[in-house]
Amino acid sequence: MIRQLSIFIQNEIGSVAGVTAILKENNINLRAIASFDTPQFAILRIVVDQPEKAKTLLINSGFAVTMSEAIAIELEDKPGVLHDLLQVIADAGFGVNYIYSIVFRDGKVPLIIINTDNLQATKDILKEKGYSVAEQEDIIL
Amino acid sequence: MIWAKEETLTRQEIEEIQFTRLKKTLKRIYEKVPAYQKKMDEAGITCDDIKSLDDLSKLPFTVKQDLRDTYPFGMFTVPKKELVRIHASSGTTGKPTVVGYTKNDMEMWTECVSRIACMGGASADDVAQISFGYGMFTGALGLHYGLENIGASVVPVSSGNTQRQIMYMQDFGATLLVATPSYALHIAEVAKDMGIDPSKDLNVKIGLFGGEGMTEPMRDEMHRFWGSDMKATQNYGMSELIGPGVSGECLELCGMHINEDHFIAEIIDPETGEVLPPGQRGELVISCITKEALPLIRYRTGDISRLFYEPCKCGRTTVRMENLSGRSDDMLIIRGVNVFPSQIEEVLLKIQEIGAHYEIIVDRKNHLDTMEIKVELVDETLLDSYAKLGELENKIKFSLRSVLGLDAMIKLVAPRSLKRFEGKARRVTDLRQK
Repeated sequence: MIRQLSIFIQNEIGSVAGVTAILKENNINLRAIASFDTPQFAILRIVVDQPEKAKTLLINSGFAVTMSEAIAIELEDKPGVLHDLLQVIADAGFGVNYIYSIVFRDGKVPLIIINTDNLQATKDILKEKGYSVAEQEDIIL
Repeated sequence: MIWAKEETLTRQEIEEIQFTRLKKTLKRIYEKVPAYQKKMDEAGITCDDIKSLDDLSKLPFTVKQDLRDTYPFGMFTVPKKELVRIHASSGTTGKPTVVGYTKNDMEMWTECVSRIACMGGASADDVAQISFGYGMFTGALGLHYGLENIGASVVPVSSGNTQRQIMYMQDFGATLLVATPSYALHIAEVAKDMGIDPSKDLNVKIGLFGGEGMTEPMRDEMHRFWGSDMKATQNYGMSELIGPGVSGECLELCGMHINEDHFIAEIIDPETGEVLPPGQRGELVISCITKEALPLIRYRTGDISRLFYEPCKCGRTTVRMENLSGRSDDMLIIRGVNVFPSQIEEVLLKIQEIGAHYEIIVDRKNHLDTMEIKVELVDETLLDSYAKLGELENKIKFSLRSVLGLDAMIKLVAPRSLKRFEGKARRVTDLRQK
């Protein structure tokens, strides 16, 4: 499992920049980021190399932040591999809440980050099927 | 202890007394106060048209502006030489409002406050420290005379110099405190700083609070500081009506008993002026039916309350007014529904996932009123999913709908992002064109 931060942001100009400014000032490396075009507010999800430090800094700056786990899976860069992965999860009867990815990994294959309604069971099944599931240490360059 | 037999009359007996006194007082006002005579003439109503208590609703209102327009003594029904006391309330804008008392008025005032002191548990055994500011403000002298009248030992310490207050409390063995609720809490804090625990080291067991409303959370605070066994009640009045003595809480704490043989209470819709049925919330209107110097008829207090006529467990039968829930000046009308910001606040404060600060924005879109309420998200565990945040929005919406009968748009905002206020909070923005 990896740790991700979920941050409450308002739909206002500069609100995401407000988060990234804090990361930059404190030399925290952003590994992945995801957000969607919602009308009023958004949950911004980020994966960083120092999640605890980033969480404390963001909370001290007035953000509502929560840390939670997600599964990160190594996937080869070729057609159809994501489909195969999703099929495994669907066949096991789990729902996918959201997906985003870590693409830049200094020569290593990309990671797909997935959140489902049963994280541990999903992870176990994927491992059983031979997928390589990354841990927090694996995402720090 | 119940001070006067007038507090336990049957409804019919109360109403008979009220009607007789209203007729008599109205006649004098019509003869002596040109400003009110003019109002009655314009409304096409005479004293003879008042044939029962129900006809009270036909009479014109008196408002604060009437007192300002006739400054200083224009609404008085007696010559100045009959006055034995004059008080004034500091108006924040314009002229102050001046009130006066004859010798009989002073007796009646003292009687009303004596009743209220007894409702709150006071007796001749008490040492009563009065920490209201003395002066033109009616609060201090009102309580002073009433407490002396029931035989308590009055210590007129006035407000300010809090450390000295605490010294007197200790040295004189005060058992009763008269103060605004916020000053009473301040005294307790200062005592703690001095190394004195008010609940153990002081002997104050009764608090008669007034001058400003006391909310239930404030009463809880009062018990936390002064001890869980403190009898913490509040009472109500305003100088235009008499000062303190209009109504007060008994120890059952189920509203403030109005001294109905001296004051007739009505609740009206602040917008239309219509009298509302018992139990409905609206603006409190009071008629003074026994005062000599300044008897105001149907005076609009601007305070929002409800009336309950069921007899109280304490044995009193007088009507009870609910603790104030705001001012009529704050009322919003949204799609024809009267909404008080205090009602919204009550709902929001019960929801754990959001903070205590909020903003209400009223607007009109396509000829329809809209209300948006901004609240701060404080429970970050909901950030797990949009679904949980959506559930929270729905929960707030549903709670508001069940209290207001209206749908509001809920906007969740980041913690600490709403404006903070040092003084009186301004939480409502009305963007509709008046």
